[in-house]
Amino acid sequence: MSAVATETAFYAYGVVASGQRAAVPTRAAGAALEVVEAGPVAAVASVVSLDEFGEEPLRENLNDRDWLERHARAHEDVLLAVAASADVVPFRFGTISRTADDLRALLRDREHALVAALERVRGKIELGVKVWVDEARLRRALAPPAAEAASATGRGYLEARRAAQREAADAETFCADLVREVYERVAAHAAAAVVNRPQPRELTGRAERMILNAALLVESDATAVRDEVDVLAERLRGFGVTLEVTGPWPAHNFVDGADDEA
Amino acid sequence: MSSRDIATSSRGLGHGGGGGPAQLADVLERVLDKGIVIAGDIRINLLDIELLTVKLRLLIASADKAREMGIDWWEGDPFLSSRGHDGIEGRLRRLEEAAGLPLDDGGKKR
Repeated sequence: MSAVATETAFYAYGVVASGQRAAVPTRAAGAALEVVEAGPVAAVASVVSLDEFGEEPLRENLNDRDWLERHARAHEDVLLAVAASADVVPFRFGTISRTADDLRALLRDREHALVAALERVRGKIELGVKVWVDEARLRRALAPPAAEAASATGRGYLEARRAAQREAADAETFCADLVREVYERVAAHAAAAVVNRPQPRELTGRAERMILNAALLVESDATAVRDEVDVLAERLRGFGVTLEVTGPWPAHNFVDGADDEA
Repeated sequence: MSSRDIATSSRGLGHGGGGGPAQLADVLERVLDKGIVIAGDIRINLLDIELLTVKLRLLIASADKAREMGIDWWEGDPFLSSRGHDGIEGRLRRLEEAAGLPLDDGGKKR
């Protein structure tokens, strides 16, 4: 009687088609999953405590690096677990409703957009394609061998400076062309493709510069993209250029626009 | 958008080309910045998130900020107009300036 019942809410990870609700696992990433159905779509959700996910606690928790990492990864892991057996449209982190009925109302309001997004991602997964460049190696690879012979005279110094500027400009042009070519070649194997902002070094922790950060919506069997990347990587190895494929991911990059901030 | 219907024998979901957990930056980029936004009962203002550094916050905040300002270069094909020196980097710099965020791109300034 005196025990304080913690208030709870429904945290929704994403939606599946109601017809596929039986494929949703009952647990994933340490969380018990509930399916909240509203017509043709069903949300995959967990019951969470408002002590943790209420407005105020959440604001603090979002600033806690470890909390954020743990829950962001859990969000993703749940979606991946669901995606293993059903098509899923991911929600952004933090879609929280007080009750199952509130969640159903949200789903009903956006039924059309959610059904369209499910149709778009059906049978597909998302891959990330990144291109990294070791700029010093690239410049060396592009520089003509004669450039080493700069003399100690003033004229030699100026020439060396000009050569260095040319090399930097050449490297930039090379990167711009390269990024476009890689993007076009991998996008040719995709149903849809987007380019995201390259991640800064502070975030990647890598010495190389990220010059392409693309996402592709591809058939679940993604070998065409991987083969293409292998061919490009082989060709570019001598230029200090590395290609990376990440994923499969839930199709985060290809469901946007189906809903606007309400 | 073409809905290519395929029979999926195995979806084989998992992370990273070489196994191992996904990079946190990749997870946050997707989970915090991508995916359908449904304003539930509890609204999250992602601009509240301090995260690891101002830089990380900027990454997360940039898309929404930019959309607010009507800048949506990443939604098209940015490479068509990114030839020359002031391509993506230059546009990012302007975006960051417009967003009133501190500039520093790892010593890449010219």
